[in-house]
Parts: sequence; C-alpha cells; structure tokens
Amino acid sequence: MGKLKYERPFIRKLNANPMNKFGAAPESQYVSSIEEHPVKELLAQYGSPLFVLSEKQIRKNVRAALRSFKTRYPAVQFAWSYKTNYLNAVCNIFHQEGSWAEVVSGFEYRKALGNGVPGNKIIFNGPAKQIEDLLLAIENDSLLHIDHLDELYTLLSICETISKKPRVAIRVNMDTGIYPSWDRFGFNYENEEAWSAITKIISSGKLNLVGLHCHIGTFMLSVNAYSIAARKMCTLALRCKSQLNNPIEYLDLGGGLPSTNTLKGAYLPGVDTVPSVDDFAEAITTAILEAGFSQDELPLLIMECGRVLIDDAGYLLGSVIANKRLGDGRRATIVDFGVNTLFTSFWYNHQITPAQEFSQHSENMVLYGPLCMNIDVIRESINLPMLNPGDNLVVHKVGAYNMTQWMQFITSRPGIVLIDENSRVHQVRKPETLEYMEAPELVPEHLTPDKTNK
Amino acid sequence: MSKQIKFISQAVINSYAILFFSQNQILGALLLVVSFFNITAGLAGFIGLALSLTLVTLLGYNREGIRMGFYSFNPLLLGIGFGTFYQPNPTFFIWLIIGCTIATMMSVTMAAALGKRNYPILSIPFILTFWLLLSSANSIYHMGLTQKNSAVLNEIFIAGKESFLYWPGLFFRSLSAVLFQNSIMAGLIISVGVVIHSRIHFSLLVIAFITACLFNSLTGTYPEGISYYHLGSNIMMASAATGCFFLIPSGRSYLLAAITVPLTLLFINGLTKILGVYDLPVLSLPFCVTAFLTLYFLRLRTRAGKLVLTPLQHYSPERNLYQYLNTRERLRDIYYFKFSLPFMGNWTVSQGYKGDITHKGEWAEALDFVIKDEDGQTYKSTGTDAANYYCFNKPVFACGDGVVEEAVAHIDDNGIGQVNTAENWGNTIVIKHATGLYSKISHLKKNSLKVKIGDYVKRGEQLATVGNSGRSPEPHLHFQVQATPYIGSKTLTYPFAYYLKGDVLSSFEVPAEGDTISPAIINNAVKQAFNFQPGYIATLLAQGREPEMLEVFTDEFNQSYIYSKTKGATAYFINNGTSFYFTSFYGDKNSLLYSFYLAAYKVMFITDPVIEVKDLYPLQLAPGKYVLWLHDILAPFYQFVKLSYESSCTLNGTNPLIRSKQIKQGFGGARQTMEALINFDGSEIKTFIVDHKGKKVEAQWVKENMY
Repeated sequence: MGKLKYERPFIRKLNANPMNKFGAAPESQYVSSIEEHPVKELLAQYGSPLFVLSEKQIRKNVRAALRSFKTRYPAVQFAWSYKTNYLNAVCNIFHQEGSWAEVVSGFEYRKALGNGVPGNKIIFNGPAKQIEDLLLAIENDSLLHIDHLDELYTLLSICETISKKPRVAIRVNMDTGIYPSWDRFGFNYENEEAWSAITKIISSGKLNLVGLHCHIGTFMLSVNAYSIAARKMCTLALRCKSQLNNPIEYLDLGGGLPSTNTLKGAYLPGVDTVPSVDDFAEAITTAILEAGFSQDELPLLIMECGRVLIDDAGYLLGSVIANKRLGDGRRATIVDFGVNTLFTSFWYNHQITPAQEFSQHSENMVLYGPLCMNIDVIRESINLPMLNPGDNLVVHKVGAYNMTQWMQFITSRPGIVLIDENSRVHQVRKPETLEYMEAPELVPEHLTPDKTNK
Repeated sequence: MSKQIKFISQAVINSYAILFFSQNQILGALLLVVSFFNITAGLAGFIGLALSLTLVTLLGYNREGIRMGFYSFNPLLLGIGFGTFYQPNPTFFIWLIIGCTIATMMSVTMAAALGKRNYPILSIPFILTFWLLLSSANSIYHMGLTQKNSAVLNEIFIAGKESFLYWPGLFFRSLSAVLFQNSIMAGLIISVGVVIHSRIHFSLLVIAFITACLFNSLTGTYPEGISYYHLGSNIMMASAATGCFFLIPSGRSYLLAAITVPLTLLFINGLTKILGVYDLPVLSLPFCVTAFLTLYFLRLRTRAGKLVLTPLQHYSPERNLYQYLNTRERLRDIYYFKFSLPFMGNWTVSQGYKGDITHKGEWAEALDFVIKDEDGQTYKSTGTDAANYYCFNKPVFACGDGVVEEAVAHIDDNGIGQVNTAENWGNTIVIKHATGLYSKISHLKKNSLKVKIGDYVKRGEQLATVGNSGRSPEPHLHFQVQATPYIGSKTLTYPFAYYLKGDVLSSFEVPAEGDTISPAIINNAVKQAFNFQPGYIATLLAQGREPEMLEVFTDEFNQSYIYSKTKGATAYFINNGTSFYFTSFYGDKNSLLYSFYLAAYKVMFITDPVIEVKDLYPLQLAPGKYVLWLHDILAPFYQFVKLSYESSCTLNGTNPLIRSKQIKQGFGGARQTMEALINFDGSEIKTFIVDHKGKKVEAQWVKENMY
C-alpha cells in the first residue's frame, strides 16, 4: 500500500443517526444518474426540467404486486387506473403486463380504446359519465360501474332503446373504520342504499349485474380497512346470490394502495410506515377466501392500483436557478420546477437529492418553484447541501398523478422520457411549446396583432 | 315394431358373425348365405338359431347378449352340423328341436357360469349337444336318424397336391369347414367377409395355415396332409382367437398365435384317439381347449408386460388395437389420483426428485417450492428475516380431497440459515386421499394450521401457511406423496394432474428442479357448460336434419355417456373437473352427436388462447378407408398413421369459444381433416360448427331445463 495523500482536515456535521427530534436525517446521498444515464446528460439532451420514467421499475412493481395477489387467490385481475398516469407508453406497459383499463371519463375511455384495449376489458368508473360515453361503453360491452341513482335511471332509459343488456356493477361506499370515511362514490352499504340499488338493477331485468366495486379511500395506510371492505363486499355478493339468485362474477376493491412517499405532516418517513402490497393482498384475499364462497364461485378479484405501481418509477430532474436569504434568515433555493409541474408536492414531502457531489455543508432551506405565486413551494423545509445555480436536483417517486394533474401555468409543461428495460432512452412526450399551447386558440379578426398594432 | 325387427335381424346376423369373433354385418350376412350352400344344413342351422332366439327372447334374457348372438350361435352350429350329418325326415326335426333347446340351455348356463369370470363359452355347448345326439343315434335306441355320406357333399374340384392351386384351395376349404362344408367357393366368400371384418384376423388365418402346413411338412405327422376340417375349425380358429381376439394384436401375439398351432395339433391327435373309444368326433374341441387354456394361462400372470389381454372387447381386432393404444396414451388420469398443486400462482421447484440437498435415499421423491421474482431472488430487502421471503406466510391448499391424518403445528420457525434437525419435518400435515395414498406438506408456519387431525378437507381448501420450521434454512414448501400415513414415511413417485409450466400445460407429470409452475385456472363457465349430469337433456338442431335428442346416462360401471335418442348413438365421456373428454363412440357416424364428439374430443376448462390441448383419436376414425386397411395389416407392429386433435379455448368477449381441429399424419405428411368451433352463451353451449372431411355441420344446442 502506497503512502496516503495528505488531505486537509475538515469538520462535517454528524448525520449518522437515523432519526432525531428534528425529523429524518438529511439526504446525504447524491443521485447523479438514473439507471446508468447521467442526470446532466439527460437534461442537456431533453431540457430541464424533465420527467424520467423507468419501464423496468414499472414492470417490476406490477409483477411483484400481481405475485402478492396471485399466490394467495386463484383469480386476480389488475386494471390500470388511467388517471394516475395515462401516457400511452405507460398504459401500454401495463396492458402488456395483462392489466385491463380503469377509466373515469369519456376522454380516458377513448384513450383506452385507442390503446387497443378490448371494450370488455375496460372498467368505466367515475361519477360523471355522459350519455354518449355510456352508449359507447355499452356498445363495446365494457363494465359500467354505476355511481348514483340518476346514472342508473339514465342507463335504464338507454336500455329501452337498445337490445343489449349492459354489464354493470355498482359502486359501494362503506364504513371501513377509518377517518375520513368516503361516502361520495357510489351507494352506501350501511344504510342499505347499495342493496336497494342492486334490487332495482335486478328487478329491472335490463341490466346484467356482474360485479361490485368499492373505492374506500386513497393513500390508505390501514390494511384493516381493506379487510373490512372485502368482508362487506363479500356479504353483499353472497346476498345477491342467495336472495336474488344473481351470482356476482367479480369484486373490484378499487385502488388507494399507498406508495412509499411521505405525506405532509407525517412524523415518520413513508418507507418505514406504509404497509406493503403484500400486507394489503393478505388482508383482502384472506377476507374473501373466508367469506363462505364455494371453490367454484369465488369471484374474480379486480384491483385498480395506480400510485403504488408507478410512483417510484418516476423521477423529476430539475435545475437550480438561484439562492437567496429570506427575511427571517432562512435560506431559499429557487428551482425550475414548481407546483404546476410537481403537483404532488401539495401532499408529499418529496425526497429530493442533489444530482452531483457536494460539500460537507448542508442547511435547512425552503425550495421554491419558478412561479410568481406565493403557493409555489416545493418543500417548506429540507436539509440540502449548498447548491449553486445550474446544479441539478432529482425528485423521487413522482410517477403517479404528476403527469396527469400538472398545469400549464406560467411555464409550459416539460418533456417526459422513458428508460426501457435495455436502458435505452425514449422520449415519450415532448416539452410543450408556445405553438402547441396556442393551437386551439381562436383570435377574433379585430383582435389580431396586425389590427392591434395599427 | 321396426325396432323389434331391427333387433331380431341384428341378433340373427350377429349369431353368424360371432362364429368368427365378429359383429360385422357383412361377414354375418355372407356366412348366412354360405350356410345355405348346403340347403339342409343351412335350413337346420337357421331353424336352430330361430328356435334359440325365440326361446331366449321370450324368456327374457339379457337383451344385449341376445343381440350379440351369445346364446344362439351354438344352436346355430348344432343345426348346421346336424343338417350336414343326417338326412332330413320328421324325426330329424324333432331331434333338431330338442338338441337346439339343450344347446340353448347350455349356452345360457355356461355363459353365466363362465361369464362371471369373464371367460368365453366358445363352441362347448355345441360339442356337448352334438356328442349327445351322435351317441344316441349310434345307440340301441331307435332315434330314427339316417346318416348322410358326408364325403360326397360339396365335392367340387380339388386340385392335386402337386398343383399350385392345391394350397389356396385347401385354405378356402378349411375356412368353409367352420360351416361343415368343404367348398372352395364357400371359403372364398367367407374370406371376403373376414377381410371386410378385419385385416388382422385374416392375416392371422393365413399365418396359422402356413405354419400348420410347414409344421406338417417338417414333421410329417400327417402323410396325407392335415385334414381341412381340423385346419379350419381348430388350428386356424385357435390361432386367430389367441392372436387377435383375446389378446391385443402385436408382434408377440402373432408369435403366440403361431405357437398355438402345434399345441392344437397335439390336442387334435390325442383327443381323436381318446374320443375314438366312444366313437365320438373331436369336432372343434381342440380349438376350445387351446383357446381356453391359453386365455386362462395368460390371465394368471401378475404383470401383463407387452402381451396384453384385450381389456374391453369390441369384436374387432383393429378396434381393440386402436382403442387400446389410444387409451393407453390418453387415459392416464384413470390410473392416477388427481393431485393439484398445493399453492396458487407461480412457484419454482427449488429442489426436485433426487435433489442434491435433502431429497435422498428413501425420501428422494419430494419437491421443494419457493417463490422467485424476475431476478431469480426468493426474497426482497436483505433476506435476513423470514418475512422478507416471498413464499413466507403464503397460503397452502389441499392438493386433493381427503382426511387429515397427521397435523403438527407447534414447532418454532427458524431464523434464516438455521435448521432444526431434531424436528426435521417441522410443522406438517399428512392427508389421506385413498388407502395407501397420502400427501404431506412440511415446514409450515407455527400455529398457522387451519385443520386438525380427522378433519375432512376438500381440494383447494386452505390448510396452513408456508413457514420456516424444521430442517429449513429459508422458507419453502415441501411436498411429497407417500404410501403410509407417518411423518417421515418414505416417498412415492407421483405426478400432479394438471399444471402450467410457463404457458405449456403439463398433465400427469412431475415438475423438474428449476421449473416455475402454476395451477391452471379453471373457467367456471366452460366447466359449467360441460357439466353433463345424468338426466341432462339437450336437443341439437341443424338445417336439413331432423332434430336430435340427447340425454346423459350413467351405466352400471358408473361411466357416463351421451345417448342420441334419435340416432341411437352413444358417446362415453369423462369430466374430471379440469377437462372434459370423450373416451369412445358407438353408433351412427352421421349423427350430430358424432360431430360433437369430434369437435369436443378433449376440452380443458382453461380460457387461455396460448394453451393448446393435444390429443389422439383412436385410429378407426381415420378417414381414408383403403389406406387404413393397408395400415391395419401392419398396425400390430407399427402405426404410421396418426390422427391427432388440438383444441384451445379463448374468450370471445365474455363468452368462451373453443376452436379445435383434427390432423391426420400419414404417408402424405400432415393434413388437417377437421375444423370445429364451439360457441358458448355464458355457461351454456350455444352452437357448434364442424367442418369434417369437407362436410360442414352447423348445429344449435338447446339445453332443456332439468327441473
């Protein structure tokens, strides 16, 4: 071993301890590349900011989740929740993995058709289906999840004019022992509204009641809630069989499974507190297996997981614009992505790491976006090293909802790339341009620039 | 009424045909015609037959037995023989009637006594009755019978021994001897009938004839040549009976047929001398003795080996052979208890039979299962905790119906990398499925058992969850089949009934180490559609055809079949909960039931277009009659024609849809000979379309309510 090179001694803040009363340890690791692609190169090629999706991670997530369910229950079907991320490239990864489509609007429904999903593998949820959407869905033999009585009446009146018997399910809401208890979607279980809707459907003779659906909440941290929901759904299904002689073909337990993001206000980080898909699978399947179905009539279990399958496959790469000191002495860093791009920063304390090596100095700081709006705060308080303008940041676990809920506001929406399983980079959405934004606009004759500048 | 006429005519024809172990109508009819070459004999034979048929029908014996001619071929033989030997006069007819009555009674009695043990009566009733008559006629009593000089009968041209024509002539005369004739013409006609009935049978007759003549020319036992009567009625008869009727035709059975020739000769010689003392002819007694002795002799073996006795008699050597080969190929699930995988989803065999780690010696036939992810890992995170392992705490299900014989639940789960060699099986459940058939699952999670000793469990019922107890350094599921109920019993090689290896369906196979397998997921709609319970009634409607009524029955052997009431056709089937398949078809091939039999020959209740079910039809269904005839002659040794079946089940929207095809592989390569489609409406068969040999049948399936 040769003589070691002299290094000037320095003092580094000790952050080996995992937790202290001020919260989690600072992000002391830097992430300079995403699946072997340097962040700087990606940004140089595709512009900053940039969403990066990992196909490998998506497939890994969906396979792992399916494995958790399929090793416990004989018939399991996933349906990709379009609203979570309806980039066609993403949807098709899920469809290739065998997922059906779960859509909540006519727009999403047509998107699913465009992705080549057979009509009978599209689940149509949502409280606001238009008549033309319903007609299209009936024609394609899709599964209609009825949300309210008015929709049921609309459907019944549509059935007067057609010869087809649409396949429907009702959406059921219930008390699963959690707060808040969602009761806005579908029919209530406890006050028998759901049963009354079921009897209406069966006695009409015009609809084919094939399933029951529930959507008990979002980012659910309680496994037990699913257990209760599954039990109540099974009770309803068994009652349909025994009292109405209408066996239920499938139970759709909806989505709502959490990713490992940390919710705002949570004391402990998500990775440590969020139950795994396996835990939810065990709760749900055990409840159904023990509900009293005979082996032959065990219903198909449909899961509409979204967030948990894609959140950690998405990254947002961005750049530092400026540093400044606030009036109270806090440090603030302004970055080129704001809440318009990273919509989920309203709910999560996103994990954000520098994309390059950094010095030993770190400081608690506010992370602001580029908008000229007071609400544009990415993190109110985050321990990050000193960053210079032009330095890059990586925001983790942003695959869910951002690419559907982002806003065109002040800045235009950035591009998205997908790194495939062979580590090749594909641009799956170009950054929006001025022309794109203005394309649908119509300017009256008297307001055109040449008239104005006269 | 027309049914009764059909029944009687069948019984008559079959009584003739059965003389050559056949139920072939053409052969039967030809024999009937040939018997009248000697008018008296033919008439006497027919009277005997008619009398016996009337008797057994009126007295109400087993109708199937009557239809097949079981009770009446001995009286028929007696009549022919009697008519050949004696001049017709009033007393002749009296004794004919009495003799035939006795022969009928003997037939019925012996059929019952021997039939109970599944032995044939052969021509014993005829021999005994004929002896009675002969002895009586030659006795001091006045029977009033005048003997004919049988030597002058039917003496048509017989070429000299040197002539080339002598041998074929002798062959045909020998054949005619079965009907107590000595006529080349009669023998020729009978030969045509036999060839139509069975190429195999005819080839054996020829082989026996040549063997006998060769044997005689070598030993010189009969300087004048073997008598045509003994050649036909005894040697060739015994040889063919053993070579292709009582045994499945094969190279070995042919050899045995040749061996019976000298045996029969010795019986002929010896018995002739012994019976000569009483002035009695041996008739076909040597044949009966040889056939019976061989059959009894072979039946007492403990292992059949490659010389197989006909398990189910179809009265056609070809059909026996093809059905046997086909059944041996297809019906493995009759021999095995159907074990399903004890888990759900994809699991990987981490240690197979004769594994390197622990599956050794008397415990070699065991399987260890784990769950692997796409990277081949069995755990997530660090793998230092049992809960990190994918298979840990996953439910384990009963692999078949049975009673819980042993259940241990108290053993602690090990830490990763540690083993408990003291209680090496860990938490274990042993289930008794049948006498001498137990399955065992081990290394279960502590206190996860949902069953206790004595519980009756159904297939697919959850038993426990996977743990890490006993000699298990990391969580896995151990599965073995054993013959005794103890924990620690030695293992037994035993296949799983059905499972998927990737996309390939494996049936009755043992997964190998490294295989990733999953249970096949049953589509309940298809399963429901093929749930043909006794009493199931459906009507098939097709354009330009009369509606066909189907009903499902179960016979006394507990085998189910679909019976076409309209066409009288029968198709036997098995539904084992995972698949539906036909085992055999009898009757009218123009029926819609036959089309359905071809189309739904084997259907798995799995709706996955990737999964193809492959099967083989019995060869007697192969199209191309004359090629098949050629094939028949060689078939006992080698089968070069193959008639295979493929089907797959997909979902057409929400309704299942089955596509199937028939492929014939023969001289000219493979050729598709059938394309079929079965449509469902929910869980009921709606229509089926069969395009077989260029003929398209499109039928509608109307199920009638059972209640």
